[in-house]
Amino acid sequence: MARLKYRPLNLGRWLVWGGTALLMILLPQILTAGFTLTLLSQIGVGIIFALSYNMLLGQGGMLSFGHAVYSGMGAYFTVHALNLISKGAFYFPVTLTPLIGGVAGAFFGVIFGYVTTKKSGTTFAMISLGIGEMVAACSLMFAGFFGGEAGISTNRVIGEAFLGISYGPSIQVYYLIVGWALICMVAMFAWTQTPLGRMANAVRDNPERAEFVGYDTHMVRFLTLVISGFFAGIAGGLSCINYEIVTAENVGALRSAGVLIATFIGGAGFFFGPIIGSIVFFTMVTAIGSITQAWAFYLGLLFLVIVLYAPGGFASLIAMHVPVIKARLMRRLWLPYSAALATGIALLAGLVSVVEMTYHFSTEAGANPNMKLFGLAFNVTHAAPWAVASALLVGGFIISRFAWNLVGRTWADIVHILQEQSA
Amino acid sequence: MSTAIELKGITKSFGNTAIIRGVNLAIPRGERHAIIGPNGAGKSTLFNLISGRYPVTQGEILLNGEVVTGLKPFQINRKGLSRSFQITNIFPRMSVFENIRCAVLWTLGYKYSFWHRLGGLKDANLRTEEVMESIGLKARRDTLAGVLSYAEQRALEIGITIAGGAGVILLDEPTAGMSRTETADAVELIRKVSQGKTLIMVEHDMGVVFDLADRISVLVYGEVIASDKPENIRGNPAVQEAYLGTEAH
Amino acid sequence: MEFFLISMLNSISYGLLLFMLSSGLTIIFSMMGVLNFAHASFYMLGAYFAYQISGWIGFWPALAIAPLLVGAVGMAVERYGLRTVHKFGHVAELLFTFGLAYLIDEAVHLIWGRSSVPYAVPPSLDGAAFTLFSTEYPIYRVFMMAVSISMLIGIYLTLTRSRIGLVIQAALTHPQTVETLGHNVPRVFMLVFGGGSALAGLAGVIGGNAFITEPGMAAAVGPIVFVVVVVGGMGSLVGAFLASLLIGVIQTFSVALDYSFVNLFAKLGITIGPNTPLAALWDLTISQTAPVLPYLLMVLMLIFRPKGILGTREG
Repeated sequence: MARLKYRPLNLGRWLVWGGTALLMILLPQILTAGFTLTLLSQIGVGIIFALSYNMLLGQGGMLSFGHAVYSGMGAYFTVHALNLISKGAFYFPVTLTPLIGGVAGAFFGVIFGYVTTKKSGTTFAMISLGIGEMVAACSLMFAGFFGGEAGISTNRVIGEAFLGISYGPSIQVYYLIVGWALICMVAMFAWTQTPLGRMANAVRDNPERAEFVGYDTHMVRFLTLVISGFFAGIAGGLSCINYEIVTAENVGALRSAGVLIATFIGGAGFFFGPIIGSIVFFTMVTAIGSITQAWAFYLGLLFLVIVLYAPGGFASLIAMHVPVIKARLMRRLWLPYSAALATGIALLAGLVSVVEMTYHFSTEAGANPNMKLFGLAFNVTHAAPWAVASALLVGGFIISRFAWNLVGRTWADIVHILQEQSA
Repeated sequence: MSTAIELKGITKSFGNTAIIRGVNLAIPRGERHAIIGPNGAGKSTLFNLISGRYPVTQGEILLNGEVVTGLKPFQINRKGLSRSFQITNIFPRMSVFENIRCAVLWTLGYKYSFWHRLGGLKDANLRTEEVMESIGLKARRDTLAGVLSYAEQRALEIGITIAGGAGVILLDEPTAGMSRTETADAVELIRKVSQGKTLIMVEHDMGVVFDLADRISVLVYGEVIASDKPENIRGNPAVQEAYLGTEAH
Repeated sequence: MEFFLISMLNSISYGLLLFMLSSGLTIIFSMMGVLNFAHASFYMLGAYFAYQISGWIGFWPALAIAPLLVGAVGMAVERYGLRTVHKFGHVAELLFTFGLAYLIDEAVHLIWGRSSVPYAVPPSLDGAAFTLFSTEYPIYRVFMMAVSISMLIGIYLTLTRSRIGLVIQAALTHPQTVETLGHNVPRVFMLVFGGGSALAGLAGVIGGNAFITEPGMAAAVGPIVFVVVVVGGMGSLVGAFLASLLIGVIQTFSVALDYSFVNLFAKLGITIGPNTPLAALWDLTISQTAPVLPYLLMVLMLIFRPKGILGTREG
């Protein structure tokens, strides 16, 4: 993970934040396809959730397998609050109900955090998993609170519309999410610039040294987890408003795994990494999920490739090109990149074919052996399509290795040139 | 109460092996004290006991008259004791500036604050600049600590140690592995930053020891065999036999 | 008495199965510092491989071939995956095995579908071994115990009699020292990882038909195995053994007990109605709390004895 360092470049920072805000506000006007609003809302909530997760993973060095506990509990408290508000038990503006989720998330951070943050590393990872499983198991025990299999539903439209805002139409919910996402993004970025935020980095990098400059590493991790739980809870509250239902899935292991994957794919070493990660993650889930049942397989494969070959995620891939662009050396990379892309497409086509054909073969070959892939129709029980697919896969693998070697050599040259320039 | 550090019958065993065997030592405030001894005498272990890195097996440690035995490192640090490490122990992925700033935050009272903006902490940033100036790393302000030269990292190590303004400073072999000129610079640096403080250092370079120390303790096989002014240590026959006789330059 | 004896036998057979999983995980963790997130996935692979192979050539060959195949997969994973991420540290290794677990789950979905497969106990092992009071105890449970115990003896002999076993033993107690002795050779790692995976695979072969072979089986048993390792003490084989049996007992007995606080209070003469504070809590029967008990045990252990039953290291 690369360093987290931000210079006080204020004009630039205003431009970045302003641009982000403007983009989020304008996007639903530009992309008007039916599913985009759903997707954009998902991404907005996902960004808050992933950024809160990265407080642990990226900034605090804590790999959690149970982060959904905090967002999920936030969602459950929000759904009960909404139901109570609509019954008239108390008054609270719907706009602010994600705060209830945030407080709930922070509360459970206090409860579970003290035990889990005693250690970091592998032990933390295991215990966070155990806590996650415990809460997930509880969700089936206490049907009154968790709603059992069906979950708890609610209605986000409460009372009279205020200035035309009723949160009935999903575009209004989208803008509610955008508002919260911007606030949370700024707040979480600001957190990285506080004493606690910086000491979280220090404890991540060298816990022993941090103890010898006066810091209790357990306390630093604990507070980081509580604050992270707060923002996760806000994300949970927003997802509750968005879907008007909260089920046991919200606290489940798959949700925890999802946020880990999204954050890591985006890049845990950079503040903006989880933002990219959420965009990639939800776009993949929605876009690929609508085409093939095997989407989760491709997602897992992408995750493994990132872990193995680009552990800094997409953010690091972007960051490593910045000096190259500044030094006007990109032109050297176009050819190797094109080669890698072309061979990569062949490899990918082979892989996708094998996966899809396997899937079709194991599920429906008996009833309907014919399938269509890349516009070609064929019989999956015949040998020929398998031969073509395997040839693509193996051949693609071999030629991509050549292409990647070329990329590697070019990069070595570029690094060399950059070093000479700076010296 | 003019004693900065007092060790009363300190013993440390790993399993059945006693590494420190009943050390008694009182170091008055403001003294520059060197601990010397052959390899394996237990000098670094003694530092680890005083700073709370290891628990003591037996005995009592007093810091400014207060018992600190059994406290955690961060608690001892907050009571005014700071240490450096023999093997450089810094935050390699942070800049020099950030390294020092991490070390000043607690004493300036910012603790676990998440409501202050680091950039706006005038006192912390000023203190950080001062420390960087005094250790001569001002020009390397924004360089990542991990890519500094060895001598620069050692200077940063000392900078982190003194930045919090602790009254008692423990330096573990501050000049180990340095060239002659680097060593000379380091001696001046140590002299400067330990002004008005209690300094305890473990050091192998006898030049550095006799140059800096007001008093020297000789640790052999976990026991202090002599503790005296440099000129007396030089003349002490037991010390010469145990140590100087074989290793003096 | 009858209930107790039968449940005890079931606890032991389940506990031994857990130990087959946790022993491999413990050895891999001690040797390589890697907490193998995909360990339970190897268990699942063992079950599915056995299902597939026993469909072709019968259960007995599958009993031998499936674990070997899983072991081969494990070795390949170590050689081509773990070794690559080793330089990025333990967290990266953990992430890698996590991704792998996710991928294996999905691969199982793709190949064998989303519902359970009919992996059944072979006819030769179907039936009652003996009758205890009025309950017939199945042969297959006895067979499971026999396999587990022979594997246990196998591990014991390997650890105490073979050269690689001695290295593994030394690594359990003094990981750094063994590393400096130069025994930290990649080949030993690969064999250990493969061996641990094969053990998990074997557990899958005999557990898959005793319970159920479905894509969710890895996610169901994986966290329990982690609990066993934490409760037993990270890196302690004997601790893992005791914890496996303990969890086996807890899980087996708790699902069969229908007592709740309401019953307890009733005996004390206190009636609990739906309006009593925390009614939902008092109303829970022990069997309803069964899924949560192992995790509760883990949390309590971490609070009161973070080293675990027999652990020497605190994480």
